[in-house]
Amino acid sequence: MKPKRSMLFITQGLMLALALLLSACGAAPATAVPPGELTGSLTVLDWAGYDAEDFWVDFKNTYPKVTVNFEIGSSDADIYAKMKAGDQADIFHPYTGWLQFYVDEGLVEEIDTSKLSNWDKVPDNFKKIGQINGKQYFVPWDWGFTSILYRTDKIPEGVDSWSALMDPKYKGHISMWDDGPGAVTISSYIHGYDETAITADQLASIKDEWIAQRDLNLFYWAGEPELVEGMKSGDVWAAYAWQGAYATLLGEGVPVAYANPKEGRNSWVGVYGIRKGTKNYDLALKFLDQKLGEATGNNVVNMFYYGDANQDVMNGITDETLKKAFSVDDPDILNKTNFTPNLTAEQRDAWTAMWAEVKAAP
Amino acid sequence: MTAPTLPSPKSEVFGGGVPKGRRGWGLDRRATFWFIYLPPLFWLIAFLVMPVLLMAAFSFRPDMRGDLFQIRTPTFSQYASVAATGSYWRLLGISTLMALGIGITAVLMAYPLAYFLAFRAGTRAGFYLILLLIPFWTSYLLRVMAWKILLGTEGVINSFLIYIGLIQEPLTALLYNRTAVILTLIYVWIPFAALPILAALQRIDLILFEAAADLGARPYHQFMRITLPLSAPGILAAFFMVFIPTVGEYVTLLLVGGSRGFLYGNIIQDFFTKAANWPLGSALSMIMLAATLILVLLATRIIDWRQLFE
Repeated sequence: MKPKRSMLFITQGLMLALALLLSACGAAPATAVPPGELTGSLTVLDWAGYDAEDFWVDFKNTYPKVTVNFEIGSSDADIYAKMKAGDQADIFHPYTGWLQFYVDEGLVEEIDTSKLSNWDKVPDNFKKIGQINGKQYFVPWDWGFTSILYRTDKIPEGVDSWSALMDPKYKGHISMWDDGPGAVTISSYIHGYDETAITADQLASIKDEWIAQRDLNLFYWAGEPELVEGMKSGDVWAAYAWQGAYATLLGEGVPVAYANPKEGRNSWVGVYGIRKGTKNYDLALKFLDQKLGEATGNNVVNMFYYGDANQDVMNGITDETLKKAFSVDDPDILNKTNFTPNLTAEQRDAWTAMWAEVKAAP
Repeated sequence: MTAPTLPSPKSEVFGGGVPKGRRGWGLDRRATFWFIYLPPLFWLIAFLVMPVLLMAAFSFRPDMRGDLFQIRTPTFSQYASVAATGSYWRLLGISTLMALGIGITAVLMAYPLAYFLAFRAGTRAGFYLILLLIPFWTSYLLRVMAWKILLGTEGVINSFLIYIGLIQEPLTALLYNRTAVILTLIYVWIPFAALPILAALQRIDLILFEAAADLGARPYHQFMRITLPLSAPGILAAFFMVFIPTVGEYVTLLLVGGSRGFLYGNIIQDFFTKAANWPLGSALSMIMLAATLILVLLATRIIDWRQLFE
């Protein structure tokens, strides 16, 4: 059966119209497409939990037709290794300490901050965290403290130093994070070492220190829920902890306090980078701009108890528990805080090997 | 075979050697061989042999710098650094011994289970087998987590012992040590170990027992002379099924092992997921692979040797 001539004519006409329409779309600049109509797809390599829509809700609402796919990394090392092995994610989410190698190995594209409408809401000290070799390679997003979290009923005298994690008084009730660079950081604070220039001798004594600590340590925690569970059950009295765990336990009525050690707290910042060579650079920038949006930031603060790089979000916090967790009322807190410096590849290999040897020690 | 009147179109495709006039659907032997073996062979080469070779190649890299899949001058620096770290070797020894102990215990405990299913359960064997397999319907991680609830300071065992007044303070020695790891792993493996033993026992021809009984063999002798030797392949399979994965085990140790529960597998895992140091992790893996292979070869050698004496 041949189609009737008139049918053929209509079909051809439609096709012609469609072709014209398509070419028109192609010729128009990308910005002319209203956000609601913009299509495409993005892949984000992120940590488990951050793939929830709450943490990119501004993007979802502004660009509803863009598909966002998530890949999950289990640690900074895992994310770095994946990107190094040629992962095709457009965007990835490393944390302070693990930024330098991405630039050194040519894995990250510079951020065109002029295209970020929310950029001026980010304080300068956070912007600096995302700069490597004087260029803005990363967009800061979430941040938090690291300090000693302790049970006030078990340690009524309180904790005022990082050395509490090595205090024999708390034998069997201490929990350290399972991380070599983290251990080096704490030892540096306690002994006043320059964290960016640890010598081989210092590393050797740090190793011995943590091997001795192992007999006091109940378990090395890998994920926050594990730590929260240990503190809630009363097995763990003092631990290396991020303030997410502090806020969670406070919320559950567990008697805990978050120390202000005399050596200063540690602070970490999570940043987003765009993979070098991605075909979705503009879309990725839009994603990061929306990541700094207020609704997204509020979710980070209220659901994960972490800080947001958007200062408007932080200024809007009213919840007392959260104010306490971020020490919002202590104007001096950031001056007393040590930000994690970036590791070099040599430090990464040496410090992680040191930690493996601590755990393998007889 | 089933339709002898039809010509065999496939034989044309799958190669010559088919005599003219041969009929039926059957492929020739060579074609059948490739048809059956090619998919698993491809699978194993692509997803087992190639990754192992890749890992071997990685173990000769100096570090992670540069293109990961680019060939670089091989170096033994990773092996040298492993060789210089005595604690890794010690851990490999402990891992192997623990796997040996867990393998033997799991087999010893699985054997009566399999024996019961094969010879005593009768018509309900199928039902009991399903009961045995029920734990597998739950995720492995959940089952290990359940041990935390059993062994924790406020866990089931401690609460019970305090309740009956046997102890006043909770025992902290139950969780977060190697004992907890051994307990958990034995539990996890028993049902697995029972399956190959069961398969071996079910193959035993019951006539053999009648013959033995006719010749005056008592149950003990029947077991030692018939059941045990004939189920030996199943025992061996069960043991290796437990032993080999346990040498490199790391998840269970992370959950219930505590600060001192780390084993060789954890060190390998650390270098891959926490250190981004694939070359060193690969070197450690290759060493474990070699050690396990040597042990398995030795073991099969010893077994063959014994059979010569029978």
